[in-house]
Amino acid sequence: MAKHETPLLDELEKGPWPSFVTDIKRQAEKNPDCWDILGQVELSYKERITHWKHGGIVGVFGYGGGIVGRYSDMPKRFPGVEHFHTVRLAQPASKYYSTKHLRDICDLWEKYGSGMTNMHGSTGDIIMLGCRTEALEPFFYDLTHNLQQDLGGSGSNLRTPANCLGQSRCEWACYDTEEACHHLTMHYQDEIHRPAFPYKFKFKFSGCPNDCVAAIARSDVAVIGTWRDNIRIDQAAVKEYIAGNIPGNGGAHAGRDWGKFDIKKEVIDLCPTECMWMEGGELKIDDSECTRCMHCLNVMPRALRPGADQGATICCGAKAPILDGAQFATLIVPFMKVSADNEFEELIEFIEKIWDWWMEVGKNRERVGETMQRIGLPTFIKVMDLEPIPQHVKEPRSNPYVFWQEEEVEGGFSRDVDEFRARHAA
Amino acid sequence: MALSIEELKAAILKKAQTAPKPQLYIKDFYACDPDSKPRVVKNAANDLVKEGKMMFWSSGSTTMYAMKDRIKDEEGAGGVN
Repeated sequence: MAKHETPLLDELEKGPWPSFVTDIKRQAEKNPDCWDILGQVELSYKERITHWKHGGIVGVFGYGGGIVGRYSDMPKRFPGVEHFHTVRLAQPASKYYSTKHLRDICDLWEKYGSGMTNMHGSTGDIIMLGCRTEALEPFFYDLTHNLQQDLGGSGSNLRTPANCLGQSRCEWACYDTEEACHHLTMHYQDEIHRPAFPYKFKFKFSGCPNDCVAAIARSDVAVIGTWRDNIRIDQAAVKEYIAGNIPGNGGAHAGRDWGKFDIKKEVIDLCPTECMWMEGGELKIDDSECTRCMHCLNVMPRALRPGADQGATICCGAKAPILDGAQFATLIVPFMKVSADNEFEELIEFIEKIWDWWMEVGKNRERVGETMQRIGLPTFIKVMDLEPIPQHVKEPRSNPYVFWQEEEVEGGFSRDVDEFRARHAA
Repeated sequence: MALSIEELKAAILKKAQTAPKPQLYIKDFYACDPDSKPRVVKNAANDLVKEGKMMFWSSGSTTMYAMKDRIKDEEGAGGVN
């Protein structure tokens, strides 16, 4: 029996799509506190103002992240959501978990929390919605002791690292994303569980330029698999695609008749750098012009494979805030070997150089991409001990001035002005 | 010369007790010892939380530090997290 009238929310159940309103109503049959979520949200829709407050000192002992305090500003009217804290659980690498484990997590949340979940948050965490303060510690104890699962990151912490399926399932993965993600997660436990920075910091690991975890759009350090030799071509398989004996796109989009496969129309003409052509019945690629868009590999996976000299491109400074100012990451290192053999030493050194600089010069609540933008890419490249390369240039220079560093000028900046003026009158 | 860890912790506590605002960003503590690296200051502040002398206050997106007796719980900050 509904506790509150919800005419506005009920409208959201009438469309063709799954509705969170229906989900909450179903959960409210088990946990009556959930009626107060609906009541409070209905009031917010009516008054066009939120009645949630968030933030506070809530957390579990020893941790400085993973819990986000949430409260109702109308606790007397909606007592079921007086405390409604969010708990973030670190997702397993590639989000592999058994249904049993998932059920165990859900059972635990029904015992200690509202039973409402959000699979998955934008950082990848498993999000548990709605818990009272006094239930946090017992929930955390059971989670870590019985389910061997940890909290994720929140606040000014390193957020839970995320990765694609990588070499566990995908032939395009150019490095072991799961190993990299796991290794760095273990290496940076302190940074994940306790605040360390001016603001949040994220890494994400994609095995190839398809970038299935959207690292280039959402992470401060995006590690995206690539290769630096040539795309491997199986010319016999190319002919099979042309003959229509192998379906394009690995058989995807097969629910409709798209006609005979046309390599010119579907692959060559769609290459963004126009670096492909047919010659003597063979597919040719000018690999020096390839921008790793992955389109040709996606369409003809049995004919084209990433090159054999594999590693990752490192891009920095993406952010995807909801309200404004989303920006893509900037390419910093075109190719880096990413390997467990040296415990990801080169990547770790790169990350810590960024942190040392950003912790020093970053403003409060400023993502590293914003710091890079404010201070400038040339300074960032210098701080990272890198040489500028053509790939760092976004567009032709529009500023006519050349700014020299003191060490680049003969005599430095302390030349005798009087002596100079004796020869060159002002 | 950088302060010792204990001296740094004492300086951080003093700042947390006397600053006009009850909640401080980690960067606000850098001035306690300009000779200490930011990571050292962060570790000292986090140690003080472990010792129960300070608390984390988190909006969800940003974490601040506070003396327990200077803030009240059950406050929301607003904004995204």
